[in-house]
Amino acid sequence: MRWILALAMAAATVGSFLAPPAAQFSEPELARIIFFHLPCAFAATVFFIMGAVLGIKALNGGLDADTRAVAANEMAMVLALLTMATGMLFSRVQWLAWWSWDPRQTSFLFVLLIYGAYFALRAAISDDDQRAKVAGAYSAFSILPMLFLVFVFPRLPAVMQKSLHPSTTISGGEFSGIYWSIVLSVFACLLIICLWLYRLAVRAGLLELRYKNEYNQRNHGNTTPPRVVRPVSLSEEGREENP
Amino acid sequence: MIRSKKDGGHMKSAWATEISAVFEKEIKTEQRSRAGFLTSLLSSVLIVISLAYGAFGSTLDGTLAAGLFWVALIFAAVAALPRTFLAEEEAGTADLLRLAARPHAIFWGKALFNCLQILITAVILVLLFSVMMGLTIKMPFLLIVSLVGGALGLAGTVTFGAALVAQGSNRTMLVGVVCLPLMIPLIMMGISSFRVALGVGEALGGWTSALGVWFYAFLVFSLAPNLFAMVWQGKRS
Amino acid sequence: MLAAQALGKRYGDRWIFRGVSFELEVGQCLVISGNNGSGKSTLVRCLAGLILPSEGAVSGYETMGYAAIELQPYGNLTAREHLELFGKMKGCEPDVEKKLETVGLSEAADVPAGQMSTGMKARLKLALALQSDPKVLILDEPGASLDEGGRDLLDQICLNQRKTGALVVATNDPLEKRWGTHEICMGN
Repeated sequence: MRWILALAMAAATVGSFLAPPAAQFSEPELARIIFFHLPCAFAATVFFIMGAVLGIKALNGGLDADTRAVAANEMAMVLALLTMATGMLFSRVQWLAWWSWDPRQTSFLFVLLIYGAYFALRAAISDDDQRAKVAGAYSAFSILPMLFLVFVFPRLPAVMQKSLHPSTTISGGEFSGIYWSIVLSVFACLLIICLWLYRLAVRAGLLELRYKNEYNQRNHGNTTPPRVVRPVSLSEEGREENP
Repeated sequence: MIRSKKDGGHMKSAWATEISAVFEKEIKTEQRSRAGFLTSLLSSVLIVISLAYGAFGSTLDGTLAAGLFWVALIFAAVAALPRTFLAEEEAGTADLLRLAARPHAIFWGKALFNCLQILITAVILVLLFSVMMGLTIKMPFLLIVSLVGGALGLAGTVTFGAALVAQGSNRTMLVGVVCLPLMIPLIMMGISSFRVALGVGEALGGWTSALGVWFYAFLVFSLAPNLFAMVWQGKRS
Repeated sequence: MLAAQALGKRYGDRWIFRGVSFELEVGQCLVISGNNGSGKSTLVRCLAGLILPSEGAVSGYETMGYAAIELQPYGNLTAREHLELFGKMKGCEPDVEKKLETVGLSEAADVPAGQMSTGMKARLKLALALQSDPKVLILDEPGASLDEGGRDLLDQICLNQRKTGALVVATNDPLEKRWGTHEICMGN
């Protein structure tokens, strides 16, 4: 399975170099980074939605869902950082500036800030159960600004005019079929790799949770049920009977 | 113990009474300490004065002025509004409130109080801006509409953010970090309508943005109280 | 009336308590005793719904009154204002004067809570806890800061409570323990 994935990734990478250079960019050969930039952005969105859904699940109680939500959001954060980095490289090469306050660049920066706040908030709350709920509520609420930043804001007509971002090139059909097939195959490979990493993170997180719950009773805390002093009659589960 | 009512001594209070009781409590405690509102007012005045001084008397164009105005407003909001929750946790009074009122009532009571605070701050800021920076407002009605919507949205977001942060450590620092990213759409649309009210850009764009501000505030208030009720420990309705 | 099923609370990787189960009927009083740090207060806060349990569930009560040492009244509101505002929130008759008289605070009705002594605050908290005539009354170390008169008052309150509802008291005081029909001891 891993070999197939490695081969597919290699094939997609080779494909990205074989594709004809995109003539509409000022440095056509170096524009190939979008074959990795776009899939990262797509995958980041996928994991963000996953994180929000799992966060809502964690709101109803359940540290398992919270563990999954953290793993998804961590994955989304990494992907967003990669999107940002590839985007900045592209910006430096094509527009001659690392940062050009392009609306899409800016809105993605805000997306990163939203994630930063998510992890800062988690770090501040020490009670696991409360943390799960608070982080879930934050995730659920952050859907509002996220949707706005990722889907609404960059498509506003006033913003589109000013934008340097080549999204019009892509949606306007100037992006040829072979480009799309490469982008989508890189996206598929990336998504599989990320899902694999995500599952590893979830397994590690769940193991830690189980350890906290079950395996270190001997050394930490009161795990024996309280002693019943009165009344004397007691059922087996430690439940008190009426006298 | 003497029971005063036939239905077991307890009656569910009407939402309006409950919300107004929370609101009244906020007003009364604030009236007597004045810490929150004074901080908010002073910080916004200080921001405007330093901005005006930094500009060295040069007249600002509408876009920049709108941006500066919103920056001042947000900082005033983040400095003052979270107090409604943070002060309660610090003084240890939060549990008393938890036991008495239902979460929805707590959220609405506090958010309304915060909205009032931010509106007063906004009015003072507008006055200061027009006096100290020589701004003329071309479309006062648009300004009012977008500011009221913006105040609602800001109050809702900061109330929610403060509630999330309240039980954490390092809360005074954290509250800005948590609230600001959640307010970004509001800030963007607020600035773009404010700009038009100052005479930059087309009227239609300004009204669209103001509508966007109201829509966002509406979304905030349909989401935040419910999420708050799920997070806030205490009385269940 | 009040029931706990396999209640447990964990902070980090340390269990504060685990496996607490009981059922309480009208007329019964549960005393929770145990050494310092055995998790009495945490359990009581769980029962009152102020913190989330890590496992298990609390169920059964309709109305609940709660008073504890760490509970603080608003420093710049008077006793009267406390009762009025919280009465409105809870949706019950304020009955301010009567409630103040019950806990012996009539004289100090207009003193801001910030200027009250610990004992007076404790009385105010009792008044607030009793305000909605709760079915379940939960008290955490209720006698800790009360004088002779206050303890008599507490005796009266607890006796009355057991006539109409259930009572939970977290305490190690032998005098308070005698209210109990049931007792559990936390810790090992």
